[in-house]
Amino acid sequence: MEIPYIVTPRKDTGLFNAKIAIWLFLASEVMLFGGFFSSYVFLRLGADYPWPERTLPVLPGLINTFVLIGSSVTVVFAWAALKMREWRKFQIFMGITVFCALIFMVLKAVEYNVKFHHQALRLKDYSIIEGHLGKELDGDKKEVLDHNGNPIEENLIYVEASKLTFNTRRFHTPWLEELLTQAEQHKSTVKLTADLKGEEGTSDEGKIYAKSGELLSIEFLNRMEEIRKAATSNNAALRTTALRQEWVKAHAANPGKRDWQISAGVNIDLKALKPKMLTEISTVTFTVDPPAKFDFHPRDIKAADGSSRMRDDTVVEGKLLDSPMGFHHVDAIDFQYLVMKAVEKGIEPEIAIENSWLIKNNKFAQEAWEWHQGEIVKLKAELLKKGGLDKDGKPRLFPTHKELYRIGWKDFAKKTEDEGRVKLSSSDAFKEEFFGPNYEARGDETFPELSVPREQVGFAAKFSPAWNTYYGIYFTITGLHGLHVIGGALVLSYYLFFGRKMYLTNPEWLANRVEIGGLFWHFVDLVWIFVFPILYLM
Amino acid sequence: MADTPEAIKKSIRTYLFIGGILFAGTILTVLIATVPALDMGAHGFDKWDCIFGLTIATIKASLVAFVFMHLNHEKKAVYWLFASGLCMVCSLAGLTALALWDPIFDSFFYSGH
Repeated sequence: MEIPYIVTPRKDTGLFNAKIAIWLFLASEVMLFGGFFSSYVFLRLGADYPWPERTLPVLPGLINTFVLIGSSVTVVFAWAALKMREWRKFQIFMGITVFCALIFMVLKAVEYNVKFHHQALRLKDYSIIEGHLGKELDGDKKEVLDHNGNPIEENLIYVEASKLTFNTRRFHTPWLEELLTQAEQHKSTVKLTADLKGEEGTSDEGKIYAKSGELLSIEFLNRMEEIRKAATSNNAALRTTALRQEWVKAHAANPGKRDWQISAGVNIDLKALKPKMLTEISTVTFTVDPPAKFDFHPRDIKAADGSSRMRDDTVVEGKLLDSPMGFHHVDAIDFQYLVMKAVEKGIEPEIAIENSWLIKNNKFAQEAWEWHQGEIVKLKAELLKKGGLDKDGKPRLFPTHKELYRIGWKDFAKKTEDEGRVKLSSSDAFKEEFFGPNYEARGDETFPELSVPREQVGFAAKFSPAWNTYYGIYFTITGLHGLHVIGGALVLSYYLFFGRKMYLTNPEWLANRVEIGGLFWHFVDLVWIFVFPILYLM
Repeated sequence: MADTPEAIKKSIRTYLFIGGILFAGTILTVLIATVPALDMGAHGFDKWDCIFGLTIATIKASLVAFVFMHLNHEKKAVYWLFASGLCMVCSLAGLTALALWDPIFDSFFYSGH
């Protein structure tokens, strides 16, 4: 059967099938993106932290806007070329369009990559440090690798562990592997502390499941898990059978009564059952000999001196060691959140900042803050000159909260450049607009090291959705838009590379298809026209 | 719709011209956001920057929709479809605005929880 209206329009609507379909789809897309923009407004108005204003790199965003607008023009040219039956021209313009999509995605990937490797840290006093963490080094200054062969960031919790207790129900095998690797590195043995025996009064009383001194291994814990599972299901079956019998007895004793009337009297006697039951081994304890320094990712462990607990319920007994968070390069110090909290409590911002842990304990932060205050004086004078005074004798223009309380990487760079200590070539400076600060060229003078004691660490995350709702909505909107770019590029590439046959048999049909793909592509451009100012410039 | 080759040839100049306006609008938005001399309203980002930036964005988006997506001479059914989507968005955004009457700014958010 031939499908009608794929080339010629229907008489009543004046449209061919695909056109109705694409506009239905675009209407639903408008609602989808509209929903996310509404969420953005909602999150921004309701944020209980200083909203990161104009925080994304403008230049890559601007280039991406040009790229998308340019591709919108070329896609419409490609369609026009098909309408005029100029296959070569169509190929050229469609090729440019797909190439633009590629540039867009590459720039987006660079932007995401920078975010995923950039560390943010909120201290307990709400000052914020941004930068890159150092890597763990061994005695020969070589990078230490974890059991997957990746370098380890200087953000670990150290415990001198003497005992490890695993939960046979929940232990997480990758963590177990990691612990075994670490024990091997420290030349410690991890041995079963005591015999695992059947419990007194049970059917397996005295039965030895494992002898003390057995070495910790994945197979060993898996075996214990199997034993525990077998015991649990055996005991559960016993309890169920006993309970069923109790119900039968209760109904026989109370004829005509409903379940709810007699349920209070239906109970099983666990003591009587115990001799038939098996021992459920729920935890297994191992001794680390000699006690060794184990490291853990902060997100995996609730650390405490004496006994720390991992998220899989593994208990690590031992002394909690110094576990500082080591920044190899600090590239921003932000007091906006601290000031917000101070103002809520009625404390003067400047006093709060001077009493912060950073200013009290770090010489670099002190110097930077002093320099920054000098810059603010200059800025205020400039704004006074520009805006003048209002009728109350107060300056009409004043610095923003961000200018007052945030020292970003461009400020650090300006500081050392003004002091004549570092000078960057213009190509290096241009690269910074895409990849963030160039630590190698600017060096430790501009972006110093900093070690933050664990007790000062409030919350730490990469610049990912975990950090705050701004990055949550940023990744949602740009990620969804990026998927649209990929989808659109795939469809347009299909016309470009596989359209020749249709062009030769039914060129008008292909032109209609390209028009539909083009409509979607324009819509992707249209969304970006809003995304760019809202996320990058406001 | 411009369906004949002659009409399409004519509209190509329009497409180029609109592309130029879109480029110019983008540059203007960035300049307003980054050059202090062109800053709207008070120093730094404020409601005037927001209004101006979004107005330019809306004009740009309308140009894309009307010229590139041919909404300036479409069939009735398309207008109905697209308008219904837009109406849904507006009511959705309107729900956000309801927060003015049912504020989320209660003390819980600012008491250090």
